[in-house]
Amino acid sequence: MDLALLKSKGLIRQLNAPATSDVTFPYGLGAHGLHEVLERAYGDRAAVTGFVLTATKATRPQALFWISQSSTRRDMGSLSESALQEMTRGKIRCLSLATRPARDALWAAEEAVISGAVSHVIAEVDVADFTATRRLALASERHGVPVTLILPYRCEGATAAATRWRISTRPSTPNPYDPRAPGRPRWSASLERCRIAPSVSGRTFEVEWNDETLSLCVVSGMVVGPLTPRTSSAGNFQQLKAG
Amino acid sequence: MANEAARAASLYPGLRLSDARATLPHLLTEEIDRKSDERALIALATRLVRFSPLIALDEADALILETTGCDHLFDGEALMARELSHSLDKAGYGHRLAFAGTRGAAYALAHKKAGVQSPAILPSGDERDGLFDLPVSALRLSGKTLTLLRRFGLTRIGQLYEIDRKALARRFHSHEVAEAVCLRLDQALGKRPEPFEPFRPLPDHSVGLSCPEPLTDVTGINAGLAMLADRLSKALATEGLGAQTFVFRAVLSDGRVNSIGVNTARPVYACNHVLRLFHEKTDRIDPGFGIDTLQLEALRTAPMALGSRPLSGDLVQTDVDESALAILADRINARLGEGSVTVTVPISHHPVDMAEETRPFTGEIPNCTSHRVTMHGLRPIRMFDHPEQVQVISEMPDGPPLRFVWRRVVRRVTRADGPERIAPEWWTYLPPAPGEQRNLPRARDYYRVEDAEGRRYWLFREGLYGDGRGRTPDWFLQGLFA
Repeated sequence: MDLALLKSKGLIRQLNAPATSDVTFPYGLGAHGLHEVLERAYGDRAAVTGFVLTATKATRPQALFWISQSSTRRDMGSLSESALQEMTRGKIRCLSLATRPARDALWAAEEAVISGAVSHVIAEVDVADFTATRRLALASERHGVPVTLILPYRCEGATAAATRWRISTRPSTPNPYDPRAPGRPRWSASLERCRIAPSVSGRTFEVEWNDETLSLCVVSGMVVGPLTPRTSSAGNFQQLKAG
Repeated sequence: MANEAARAASLYPGLRLSDARATLPHLLTEEIDRKSDERALIALATRLVRFSPLIALDEADALILETTGCDHLFDGEALMARELSHSLDKAGYGHRLAFAGTRGAAYALAHKKAGVQSPAILPSGDERDGLFDLPVSALRLSGKTLTLLRRFGLTRIGQLYEIDRKALARRFHSHEVAEAVCLRLDQALGKRPEPFEPFRPLPDHSVGLSCPEPLTDVTGINAGLAMLADRLSKALATEGLGAQTFVFRAVLSDGRVNSIGVNTARPVYACNHVLRLFHEKTDRIDPGFGIDTLQLEALRTAPMALGSRPLSGDLVQTDVDESALAILADRINARLGEGSVTVTVPISHHPVDMAEETRPFTGEIPNCTSHRVTMHGLRPIRMFDHPEQVQVISEMPDGPPLRFVWRRVVRRVTRADGPERIAPEWWTYLPPAPGEQRNLPRARDYYRVEDAEGRRYWLFREGLYGDGRGRTPDWFLQGLFA
């Protein structure tokens, strides 16, 4: 029996090949390939960070390589370890690197992908041109390590990424315990480009992060309730419906 | 310091500059630069490593080479001295050489007997006779001791041999001086040991390669480095050792030495890994007129903890392979600078800015299960290293602000949660003494606030109203919630 026959029967599968059932949210973000996540406006960086970290769920302890430029760290703060552990239920071991130019950050990202030692590479850079992203995309496909680029709001132009997300912050859900306090964070994530499912590009997902069940729910636009909490039990309805 | 021309004109060290100028009006003088002198001496010592691996600096103007077991490589001490002299001449240094069985004897001979072109060689064991006629000033004694010795008429080293040691202390009325004389005499005669401190740490393992033809390009250097790394890794592997520092030296044909070093997070001996780290740097070596000798040294060695890998990924509980991460970190550190790759670990401290510490990655990622204990409550995903001050427009006593300005934009607070009061650690500071003007650290009230656009911030007020620790408290932004 030759190899092609085995493959066709589904008996063997290339380990690094993308899973076929990947045309659902989040379209491979953080699972395989190169993806871009942009902020909608200045100041949405925290929402972008939260979205990238929560869109993929780690089932086993994983190593994350977080690369950022020193200027970004000064401007938008650095990743907080305690919040990271809280958002990922302590499954992530994070190595971080701060570089001065974006070129070094992209080089380090490629190096990490090639080494295969980490499970996910997240690089926060100011610019990434087509050549650099193409290199990263090829390396990511060959070595099976997902790469996520976090880019500032002013980034435009063609890149080789599989998807491009644009994230903005939305007012949080009503807090059932204290109407004056912020509730669960909610973001609007619009999928500007998607190679594996071109039909969904342009769609906007309203997502909500539940810090108790540690799950990211996609909320349909219909049931996004008013910002003031309801007194009746109907207030709980929208959270049950979520997802 | 005075050079030979100046000495010939009867100037000597210790003379006043104005007196010297009066004697020689066109005298050239220069400020002494000890730092540069030391650097030059270290560079010279590095060039002489091919004569002996053990070299120490002696005061500001001398080098000591431990040549035990090295002289036979040059067919005896006389030929070695000639070779050394030739090498120093080529480097442009005037010198006096002396060989002796002890450091003290070599010092005495070099300073008082050796000429510019005639090295003094004293066979080991003949110190007693060889030093007999030399003046006592050759014994590395202080000026006060020398004066005392001269007063007693003791001018030659040989005169000290037969003196009763107890009588010496009595005569000098100073135990210290007598002790110093005895110590230096014993060291010169080899009766007491003398410590030897090489100017750079001695490698734990070292391999060398002499090139039949001088190397002039990077290809040759890389090929030589590959051969050396292979030999070194085999030598380390047979002992079950790994090293954390590797130094590669290229000795140029004109005697200069180029060296590059790499550090690793964990002890390694794998040839390929070491080679990859060096490949980033080998183009920094300037071959000059050709490279004669290549050396590769391993320092900071430690036993390797080797285990077998699991057969399948399903058998391990984790996807984190720390040894693979260490290799990755080494690669990145070699290019972007030591300590670039970091890990953040929790520490038990109350203040938020002290509760986490970022350290260089040393091959281990600490498990962060203790986080739950030290950090209560929700923490923002992005934290500023230095909290940014915000202007509060409308403030409520003991509550979050209604509007504030951060980065020149007015933010209207729609919802807020808090306060979470984080007190300073009272046990880490002392209360001010009476009459001393010093502000004590203040407690902070942290609030989670959300503005009209839905952005969530972590604000705090530095201090409480009326806590008697400074003026009205200011507001700061500590981090951004997701």
